Amino acid sequence: MSERHELPLLKSARREALAAMAIWLIATIYSVGYCFLFGYGRKPESLTFVLGFPDWVFWGLILPWGVCTIISSLFAFWFMVDEELPDTDSN
Amino acid sequence: MIVATDMTNPGYSVLFALLLFIAASVWLGTMAQKAMEKKEFLKGFFLGNRGLGAWTLALTATVQSGGTFMGFPALVYSHGWIVLLWIGSYMVVPLMGFAVVGKRLAQLSRLTDSFTVPDLLRERFGDPRVGLVSSIMIITFMSFTMFAQFKAGATIMKHAWPGSGVLALSEDFEATPAAVQPDAKSDAKGDAKADAKGDATTPVVKAPAKGIDRKYYIGLIVFTVTVVGYTLIGGFLASVWTDLFQSVMMVIGVMILVCLAVPMAGGLEQATRTAIQHTSPDIAFGPGYNNDGRQFLTPGLALSMFFIWIFGGFVSPASMVRVMAAQNTEVMRKSICLLSFYNCLIYIPLVMTCIAARTMLPHLDKPDEVIPRMSMLVTEGLPFGPFLSGLILAAPFGAIMASVSCFILVISSGLVQDIYVRFLHPMATEAQVRRATNVSMIGVGLIAVIANLDPPKYLQALVVVSSSGGGAAFTIPVLMACYWRRTSAAGMLAGMLVGFCCYFGLSSAGWLQNWAVSVPNSSFAQSVIQFLGPDPKIGVPGLFRPYYILGIDPVVWSLLASAVAGIGTSLITKPPSDERVARFFDVPQTAKIL
Repeated sequence: MSERHELPLLKSARREALAAMAIWLIATIYSVGYCFLFGYGRKPESLTFVLGFPDWVFWGLILPWGVCTIISSLFAFWFMVDEELPDTDSN
Repeated sequence: MIVATDMTNPGYSVLFALLLFIAASVWLGTMAQKAMEKKEFLKGFFLGNRGLGAWTLALTATVQSGGTFMGFPALVYSHGWIVLLWIGSYMVVPLMGFAVVGKRLAQLSRLTDSFTVPDLLRERFGDPRVGLVSSIMIITFMSFTMFAQFKAGATIMKHAWPGSGVLALSEDFEATPAAVQPDAKSDAKGDAKADAKGDATTPVVKAPAKGIDRKYYIGLIVFTVTVVGYTLIGGFLASVWTDLFQSVMMVIGVMILVCLAVPMAGGLEQATRTAIQHTSPDIAFGPGYNNDGRQFLTPGLALSMFFIWIFGGFVSPASMVRVMAAQNTEVMRKSICLLSFYNCLIYIPLVMTCIAARTMLPHLDKPDEVIPRMSMLVTEGLPFGPFLSGLILAAPFGAIMASVSCFILVISSGLVQDIYVRFLHPMATEAQVRRATNVSMIGVGLIAVIANLDPPKYLQALVVVSSSGGGAAFTIPVLMACYWRRTSAAGMLAGMLVGFCCYFGLSSAGWLQNWAVSVPNSSFAQSVIQFLGPDPKIGVPGLFRPYYILGIDPVVWSLLASAVAGIGTSLITKPPSDERVARFFDVPQTAKIL
């Protein structure tokens, strides 16, 4: 039986899908976790502000949102690779 | 031109802005027609000759919809900062949208030479049942969602008429307060759950009331003729370009609003403090402010939203078709970057604006009016102020037009390619296919008009099920089709059907529970409450609230059920043939020799 070689696009797409899933998972755990710990059941007088945002909003959402935007851009330009798509006219 | 002179009369500016949107859309339709004439009709009309660039892909494939400007701001105004957590997963939506299945779907659609999702799935598994089931599901889901959007468009046109005294260009303004409560994604481009949860894009469809009058019918006809017309002329590209146009208008509107509103409210911190004074400290914390004791976003629901927006979005038929139409993989990479920044510029500023609105307009009766009212308030006295606010007010209309246009395309592509060409007339000539396309699109428009002359009262329930049900039915099967060699046709069918049935079952249980709570004297209702438990008082209220097991949204349970059914069935059924798997997973032997 001949050895099988996976399509290069499939390999890179699978690798990128797993990496994206990992980023989503980390973002989910961090944001929901942080907001749960510091955004729920707080005493109103303990509220402080960072750049005008409630502290838990800034550290739990604004900051990770910014980080995810940067990571997504880095992912797009340095991690994700371009692959040739098949020509439909030849199929 | 009569300009806005008070806070309840937008004058002719809104009507003018709507007409501008319509004119721009028709112009884009004719431009699109010229652009698509080059190649064969079907691929050109329904897939724009696979020529989408980064901007058109990024700003149309995922999220914004009418809801972004209507339901979502209303939620922020009503519940406060916690809504940023509700929408928080949008920080990774662009990445997940294009990096998880984007490249692979584009590859599979080319390997199978298909331009509809059912076509792709049918070829991938060599089983017509997979194509047929997915086709029926997509056509049904999208039809219900689309019919409701027609009503939204018509109602907006009706209210845009000067002197109507209505500010919120929201299709649901006539509904009773209970009925208009967002039931938790719209589609919007996410639109899925906003739609599903009745917020953003979910048009609340109710029985025809006194308000449905001649102006409504004129609005319905004008809306239908415009959207069907430009989609008919320009096909997929017309739909995508108008979508891009409204996305750009939206971001411009949001930027203007936030730059004017936050300083006027005394800065963001002061705005929050004032909001607390006007409401309660809950507006700055989780689970959010609610004056009826209901918890808007419990941690369990917050976690659910990180699944719903992500997995409901990237497998929605509208998104998948756009990814299939991408020019190459480079545009997907660029789209991730573009959309990431775009989302930052839309959602965070919208939340800031609506928090500022709690200072400037502390006691709005209709939270849906928050953006229209803010746009009029902050542009007052500015040069071109009324025109500017007119454009902001017209943005939801543009979004609805773009969504409907896309729905018409996906539905008619399903009817023409998956039914007419596949089953009725396999040897159809290009002229016959073109005629069938025209007939199907006009037919869809006509049915939508007829359905909206007297919309059934509980159509809203079907809209909710359709939009979230799509995500529940397709996410896992599409992932399996893309990456798992062992996936069998039976596994695909099981994944789709079990995912949808689980979602439908849990939604129905929620409706039954809501009904039972509302009729405490009935013995049957009592036994229902005994079995399902009392109203958990979480999430958004409304008749169509689903049933939450352990406080988690049904979409999450449905994804789990779909995975178990899909993987389990694949493992116990006959594996697909090596030949078929190799065609989609392996380098062809000849290519290796070369």
